Amino acid sequence: MEDSPHPQSLFLDVTGLEHLFGNEASLGQRILDALHRRGLSVRMAIADTPGAAWAAAHFEAACDGTREAACGLARLPGDPNTLSRKRLTIIPPGETPTQNALHPLPLEALRLPEQVVERLHSVGIHRIGQLEPLPRQDLALRFGPALIDRWDQALGRRAEPIPACPPARVFQVQEDLEYPTARREIVESILHRLIRRLTEMLLAGGRGAMRVDCRLDCHASVRAEHAPYEQASVRAKHAPYEAVEFSVGLFRPSASAQHLLGLVRLRLERLRIAGPVTAVSIDAATTAPLERRQEELFDLDGDRSGRSSRRLMAGLVDRLASRLGRGAVLCPRLLSDAQPERAYRYDLPKGERIQGRGAGRLATAWDRPSRPLRLIGQPMPVSVVSLVPDGPPVRFLVRGQEHRIEQVWGPERIETGWWRGPMVARDYYRVETSLGRRFWLFRRLSDGRWFLHGMFE
Amino acid sequence: MSPGSSIPPNLGAPRSQATERLVEALRARMARWEGSRRPPGDTPVSTGSQAIDALLPGRGFRRGTLVEWLTAGEGGGAESLALVAAREACREGGALVILDRHREFYPPEAIRQGIEPEGLIVVQAASQADNLWALDQALRCPAVAAALAWPEKLDPKTFRRMQLAVEQGGGLGLLVRPEQVRHEPSWADVRLWVRPLPSAEPGTGRRLSVELLRSRQGGGGGSVEVEFEDESHAVHLAPPRARPADPRRAAGA
Repeated sequence: MEDSPHPQSLFLDVTGLEHLFGNEASLGQRILDALHRRGLSVRMAIADTPGAAWAAAHFEAACDGTREAACGLARLPGDPNTLSRKRLTIIPPGETPTQNALHPLPLEALRLPEQVVERLHSVGIHRIGQLEPLPRQDLALRFGPALIDRWDQALGRRAEPIPACPPARVFQVQEDLEYPTARREIVESILHRLIRRLTEMLLAGGRGAMRVDCRLDCHASVRAEHAPYEQASVRAKHAPYEAVEFSVGLFRPSASAQHLLGLVRLRLERLRIAGPVTAVSIDAATTAPLERRQEELFDLDGDRSGRSSRRLMAGLVDRLASRLGRGAVLCPRLLSDAQPERAYRYDLPKGERIQGRGAGRLATAWDRPSRPLRLIGQPMPVSVVSLVPDGPPVRFLVRGQEHRIEQVWGPERIETGWWRGPMVARDYYRVETSLGRRFWLFRRLSDGRWFLHGMFE
Repeated sequence: MSPGSSIPPNLGAPRSQATERLVEALRARMARWEGSRRPPGDTPVSTGSQAIDALLPGRGFRRGTLVEWLTAGEGGGAESLALVAAREACREGGALVILDRHREFYPPEAIRQGIEPEGLIVVQAASQADNLWALDQALRCPAVAAALAWPEKLDPKTFRRMQLAVEQGGGLGLLVRPEQVRHEPSWADVRLWVRPLPSAEPGTGRRLSVELLRSRQGGGGGSVEVEFEDESHAVHLAPPRARPADPRRAAGA
């Protein structure tokens, strides 16, 4: 499979197989037929080297010199009659036929990086054939070794092994119930069994689940108009089925039956089961390799750093997110922004990040000015009395309570640039009242109104 | 009878050996029931300030306990001290979990005061029940060094459950509660009342009065005035200056 985020090409090594199918042409046709039956539209090429085959499959020499774009695998309403000979190109074995086949093809057929192609275009080289008379060392010096490597690979002068692609393992377990049941304990015990089987499969494959999809097939609640004398089995056949599906996402791959069961159970508690359950299936939709955990010889009680604590934290995050929702468990990250409410953002926890490493470095005085520990989401308008119209506040009234201000620090002017959208221009004051409470007020410069933005708790 | 009080010694009459042994055995039993299940050799967690450490009988918070910080209202300063204690607790590694139900926690200031952003998790629950459940889970986790929460109403059963959870987890549960609850019974190990005071001279750090309302280990009623130097971002809380200020008078004004 092509090594890219959206693979479009499949490489098959068919050396020595053609005699099983008669000749290469019929082998190619068989493969095309099989793929076409799946509804895929494919162009195929058989050649001596993967490079040449890729080139021939993706590009065709057009008479007027324009490139033909590479086609990917597309879904077509399958019609075998649209299969034409042109969809299969065979380059006869041998270096000369390969060279001849590659001659008229454009440079992109060599799988070169874009910059190299552009540079070659800028000196007027558009076709592979144009490269031949040019001295090799100079080409390598001027355009990079990649050009020569790819060319050699296409011609067979350089080996290019095809890495094998193992089939994706499917981790899925299912159990059908003989007698549909609506009792939660039974459903839970079935889930328990299934999860144990699933985790055994995962452990055997050395992988942990990152997302687990569960599906409960239920009868919808049986309607009253069904004649009561009908047999239960007949009724069941006609009753509509409903599937209750839910997904549990994990923060770190886990193959621990206990952990997965806990998470699934948390979700199950909040679920309404429509009717008696007839089948339960669990699928580890996304898996990732499990990290090997070295058993610690001395499990120190007070040791909070290290792998076991990371695992415990991941477990905690999973549990919290499972019940409260993914968006409820967050990690703050600082942003450099003058506007206080935008000076940070919340990220979802990922990977290895959660782990305290001991007390942080204390910011020194000239790093950042002090900010309140509690910031109100929407700054609250307050009425303020100040001695001088644009001066610092002397008294302010908020929530019906009046505070007399004894000390003021400020103003600290915070303005944001026009490129950020609506402009913010505020003069912030840190105030201490006669009782010693400290608040963070600001005056909006546009209209002179005062707001309370935070409290120094 | 509040838990944690010891059997008053029978002053006056000399006791026989048997009585002595009985009294000792009873004391040990009470300590086992009411005391923590942590090994006695655990070092306490400093509050971050020598002045407040001196207030506590154990010269610090015991691991695996709840600490109540009673605040006198907005802008009071109790949370800053709680955060200082949280930072001490996280010093040896371990995460700090903030149960920010009202979404008013401002992380940049916490980070500025020395909390590691990598070890900080903020949980924003939608309901009080979810909030308390999340607090319980966080306290129970041994990888959490401290959890800071503003629980709204704590009935005794929930409170006890939190105490058992933090005992199991071994961290510190820092609960910031309004001062109106100061007469309610508590399952916390230490209850501190923090009140703001007008600062001594302009330009100095803010002054706070910290009073130990109760402690499981005995003692209580001591109070100290501390200075929190947020301008220089220094963590140590200096002992009080010469100028006295009566916290009761200031609060009532």
